[in-house]
Amino acid sequence: MLFPTLAFGVFFLFVYFTAWSLDRENGRRKLFLLLASWFFYAQWDWRFVGLLILSAVLNWGVGALIARQPGAKKAWLVGLGVAVNLLILGFFKYYGFFIEQAGELLMRFGWERDLPLLQIVLPVGISFFTFQGISYVVDVHRGKTPPAKSLLDVMLLMSFFPHLVAGPIVRASDLLPQFDRTPRLTRAMATHGLLLIVWGLFKKTVIASEISVNLVDPVFFDPSAYGAIDIAAAVYGYAVQIYCDFSAYSDMAIGIAALLGYSFPRNFDQPYRASSMQSFWRRWHISLSSWLRDYLYVPLGGGRKGLISSCINVFITMVLGGLWHGAAWTFLAWGTLHGGVQVIERLGRAAFGDRKVIPTVVGVLVTFHIVCLGWILFRAENFDLAVTMLQGLGRLGPVVALTPMLLTLIVGGLAMHWLPPRAIEGLAERLKTAPSITLGLLIGAAFLLIEAVRPDGVAPFIYFQF
Amino acid sequence: MTDDTTAQRPDPPQRLEPFPVQGTESPFPPLYESLPPSPSPPEDPSSDWIETADAHDLPTRENRLAALGRFAFPPAPPLDDEGVAARDRRWASRAIFATAAFLLVFNAVSPLNWSRQQAPGWVQGTVQQLSGVWVAQLAVFGVDMPRQGVREMWTAARQARFIGQAPASTAP
Repeated sequence: MLFPTLAFGVFFLFVYFTAWSLDRENGRRKLFLLLASWFFYAQWDWRFVGLLILSAVLNWGVGALIARQPGAKKAWLVGLGVAVNLLILGFFKYYGFFIEQAGELLMRFGWERDLPLLQIVLPVGISFFTFQGISYVVDVHRGKTPPAKSLLDVMLLMSFFPHLVAGPIVRASDLLPQFDRTPRLTRAMATHGLLLIVWGLFKKTVIASEISVNLVDPVFFDPSAYGAIDIAAAVYGYAVQIYCDFSAYSDMAIGIAALLGYSFPRNFDQPYRASSMQSFWRRWHISLSSWLRDYLYVPLGGGRKGLISSCINVFITMVLGGLWHGAAWTFLAWGTLHGGVQVIERLGRAAFGDRKVIPTVVGVLVTFHIVCLGWILFRAENFDLAVTMLQGLGRLGPVVALTPMLLTLIVGGLAMHWLPPRAIEGLAERLKTAPSITLGLLIGAAFLLIEAVRPDGVAPFIYFQF
Repeated sequence: MTDDTTAQRPDPPQRLEPFPVQGTESPFPPLYESLPPSPSPPEDPSSDWIETADAHDLPTRENRLAALGRFAFPPAPPLDDEGVAARDRRWASRAIFATAAFLLVFNAVSPLNWSRQQAPGWVQGTVQQLSGVWVAQLAVFGVDMPRQGVREMWTAARQARFIGQAPASTAP
């Protein structure tokens, strides 16, 4: 059940009205939201609802034990909790990849073996809910958040349907306190939520879908059939597509949660305006980058032990961040590229201090093109295809895939980065004083426009596969 | 006889002082402190203020109809937090309901399209028949025209090509 579908619309209307009719008793409301979330998740594969429940029970149990144990045992317990979460993630996501690589390695050394290859179905959103589980256990250990008051809270924390399948990664310290009290829906929240849903729907169904179907997919499928302009357009197009696709999901998730009375953190902040790779990661998938910082980079030592240590740690973090996106060498290379550039930036800052060596405009352009280079690795099925794409950038040929409409969408998708940073919030502040019927008709008209121009059908969100 | 020497004697030199020490009467008004105490001012006349009076008790002109209205429908007491929350929630629910109703009329074809994409079944069949009738009945009033018009414009824009580029149908 994808967000931009009629089925989800009907589901959400039912959840919205039922949840608010239960607001006098917070426990029943949370139970209803949990059941609705499981129903939502079961639309992909009902068997994995069990995995979701098992994961939540494990994390709740470990969190409760950590809170009751003295100091020395806590470290063991948190290690156990993290290991169990990583085991679940590793089995479903990386088992096939590592067995395949191990088989090839053994074959090279002449020790060929029949390793147990399994066709494992990847549960949707597993990377997101296991990361949430890890953050819960570690935060309880660090004392950043008290253990949840009930199993219901942890289950809902990990299963809450707006963020379940593609984030943002909402931490226990953000969401558990909100579960403790009966939520309130203010006019500002409702208006902001509705606008975010409309804006996300536009980005996903109009910009991302159009660019994906008519430009990116055909060019990345067979780059040798296209000239340099089409290939360059496909690379820029993919940069716009992945931003519009993923940020649309986050916007809609934040909007849906807001309409149910909960607040999620912001996940994107005009990432292509970044003038350095470090700045890019402060603006792109903020919930993941801050998670990697707090639960990987800092435990590795962060920047406490000097420049070299800091460079090594950031490099490891980015490489593992690349692997988080998928079990493939291309993702590893993508993470390596991002990590390597960040290391160069750190060394540059150490050499030149705070002096501004590169003008901001140049920094933005250079960063954007490095990011685009990374997107080639990210999108290509394998290295050969990525190399063919890069070679194609030097091959002149007729323009066949790029059209005026696609060019407009690409330029528009990039231009939206130069809108005022809090444009939606500002518009919501203005519209919240309007009569409800006026707001409803405005939102309805916006939906109608989007429905009229969107292509038929909806492709799944890119980040569902992660 | 007058002594010339005496007659021509100059005036004795005056001592220069920063301020006049021996002079005539000051041109400025006397200092307040140097004035003799003035007699106490006359007391105010006794006040006509009525301690128990309230300004709201004063007779005012009011529309009789408004007065009747206030009597019939007395204003509600100010809302507490719960009341404000409930009011905002009703406001949001009305907005969502208005959106849904608007789309049910002007985007009526959406359920029909959805039902055509589903596997055959009771739900699919029922939705398809109901939405088919709904779309046909609304088409009489032309409410499908805005969606159709926008879609045609968008399709035309999608078909546009750069100068010298192959038309849409021949592109790979």
